[in-house]
Amino acid sequence: MADTARSAPSPPPRTAEISTLSFALIISVPVLIFLLVVVAYPLAYAFYLSFHEIRFFGGYSATWNGLANYSKVFSDQSFWSSLGRTLRFTVETVILTLAVGLGLALILKHLPAKWRWLRALIILPWAVSPYGAGIFFTYLGRGQTGIGTAVAGWFGSDHTVNLISARFVVEYLAVGAAWNMAPLVAFFLLANMLTTPARLYDLAKIDQMSRLETFWHVTLPPLRFTLFVFSCITTVLAMKTFDYIFTATQGGPGGASAVLTYTLYKISFVNLDLGYGAAMSFFLLAVILGATGLLYLLWGRKEERQ
Amino acid sequence: MSSDFTTMNRRAFLRSTALLGATALGSSLVHIPFALATEFKPASGETVYFRGWQFRTDVVQNNVDTYNKAFEAKVDYATVTGDYPAVMEKALIANEQLDVLYANPSSAVRYNGGGWVLPASELPDGQEIADGMYPNIREAWSVDGKLLGLSYFVTTRGALHVFTKPYLAAGYTEEQLPTNWDALYDMVYALKEKGVATPILPHWFGEYFGISWGFVFEVMNRGGQVADPATHKPALTLDGPAGKTLAAWKKLWKSGLVPEEVFSYNEAGYIDAFRSGRYIFSPQQLYDLKTFNDKAQSGDVAGHVSLLPGKEQSWGLIDSALYVMTARKGRSDPLTDDVKKFVSWYGYKDENGKYAVASRWLKENMLFSAYKAVMESEEARTAVSTSLMRPEDYDRVLEVYSKTPYPKGIWNVVWSEEFNFWLREKLFAFLQQDLEAEAVINEANAKITELNERYKI
Repeated sequence: MADTARSAPSPPPRTAEISTLSFALIISVPVLIFLLVVVAYPLAYAFYLSFHEIRFFGGYSATWNGLANYSKVFSDQSFWSSLGRTLRFTVETVILTLAVGLGLALILKHLPAKWRWLRALIILPWAVSPYGAGIFFTYLGRGQTGIGTAVAGWFGSDHTVNLISARFVVEYLAVGAAWNMAPLVAFFLLANMLTTPARLYDLAKIDQMSRLETFWHVTLPPLRFTLFVFSCITTVLAMKTFDYIFTATQGGPGGASAVLTYTLYKISFVNLDLGYGAAMSFFLLAVILGATGLLYLLWGRKEERQ
Repeated sequence: MSSDFTTMNRRAFLRSTALLGATALGSSLVHIPFALATEFKPASGETVYFRGWQFRTDVVQNNVDTYNKAFEAKVDYATVTGDYPAVMEKALIANEQLDVLYANPSSAVRYNGGGWVLPASELPDGQEIADGMYPNIREAWSVDGKLLGLSYFVTTRGALHVFTKPYLAAGYTEEQLPTNWDALYDMVYALKEKGVATPILPHWFGEYFGISWGFVFEVMNRGGQVADPATHKPALTLDGPAGKTLAAWKKLWKSGLVPEEVFSYNEAGYIDAFRSGRYIFSPQQLYDLKTFNDKAQSGDVAGHVSLLPGKEQSWGLIDSALYVMTARKGRSDPLTDDVKKFVSWYGYKDENGKYAVASRWLKENMLFSAYKAVMESEEARTAVSTSLMRPEDYDRVLEVYSKTPYPKGIWNVVWSEEFNFWLREKLFAFLQQDLEAEAVINEANAKITELNERYKI
């Protein structure tokens, strides 16, 4: 036997399989190079601007002023108040988007066959541009045209109900942002749910798990990584939201919804203080990187290990 | 020498002379419009880019089409959405394809400060155009003696409109209509006592021309200035019109008569709110008197909207816009000539010597013009009269219009937009965060001083 085996022709040597990392690099390097070209120049130019005082009137000039723009940010009250609003808006948007997305996905999964066409329709809010969503939520929230007044009217009240109030405008905007984003989250979660083997649910039934236990131990675990990814994506999108808020409230009422991007817009494009605006934008970049980094440390690493 | 000439008899000579004379006369008559038409015909073959904000875009496009068709021109018209002054400023800085644009005078002054404007004074008939304008408007639109643009419209923003139906129903008469700001606020509280829930819609909306302009015109109507018209130094005082305005505003806000949602209105929302019939008084655009009295557009209030009389004081401020030519770098001289031709046709007279575009705006939207010839025509009287609640309001319109002030101290200066934005936020904070009037006035004066120093004014 041993001789027979020894005399058998040896199989051709197998080509080494390409590693996951190599494959990822091959498909992503061209994109990275493109991004570098597209992003690097504006980023470098913004960095240059942040150390200068830029003037357009009386002839263009760029005067070196060192770290003055950066230090000015720390003493600028509007920066801190805008940052507070940005964080408030972001946290609320992320929680609402994930919660609504998850809820929608669960509903869509259990739709009877004759209602499954709704799965296609549900994506429509995501197809609305932030500009369009801004206009939509302006009319929806205003006392004279909005849903609050309409609902009050159904109950016989002739009072106007304004949802764009300084006290809760950030929450109202977060609802709008979640309305816009949640369908996409729902779609991805639904795709995940549909890959969960049905036998796991059968086993849960055998174990006499309650609905909540089934959700917690069977439905949720395969979704956790998707939820983590979308929490990162939604965090970044919420922090850099501008057009939706600009269209919906113009940072108002008063300055109640003036998030950091809106303050940056005002400094850079109304006051034309490009140097200071560029310096402040790097703080926003740091906040975005810090927030996503924190999410990874607290949640992402755990998911990776599992 | 031909024999025919020598043999010409007297009758033939007279006939020939008459024929020649008629031909000469005919050709001279035809020659005037032909010459004008030639003046407007573009020569470069390139596109002229014309941009504006969104107002009656159908009319503008139609006017542009008329010009393009008549002169085989290539004028490209489009509208700009968003924060118009900032968007256009960015386009000018970037030297984008932009040749003609709408601009409020304050923006035009700022654009001029950046070196991005080709003044209207440089048009071939620049002096004639300037001479044809009302002197106060010409002065408002000029910097260092240079006229910055041609007349798009002139109106009064903040003319006090009154919805007469609920006012009369509350037991008051026309003779009791308020004639100044203090009397207006007194009337508002008196109406509240009579059970009117929303007697006034103040000019506190969120646009760049909302609450801040509301403050500026109330201060001016009360006889004050925000900044000195010549030196641009701050001029607000606590015991003067500014202090009185802020005190009146704080009292009104605290009375709960103004819903907070007004702060988030854009202009359309602000107009919609008044034409809903919920309010009795509101400072509105003078030309919107036509909108409010048009049954098709404002069914709830049409036929019942008039103005407060302007005998005792002014109401509002001069709100106007110009057609401004850019000084775009790299534009060829022939194209620059085409830009001038188009602007001259669009913003002044057409090939027949008529103010076609200005007259159309007056007729269709009651947009007043800076040109005396347009405003003093019988056509203007007819156009305005048909837009009113009753014909006798025509005199009231002219009374309000003729007294309207222009805030030269803060608008004919390069920092105008910056201050306006700052003022807007500060006034919202004054109401929402219950700031002290004295602090707001001191900060506003300090801001003006800081801007003057920064821009070396």
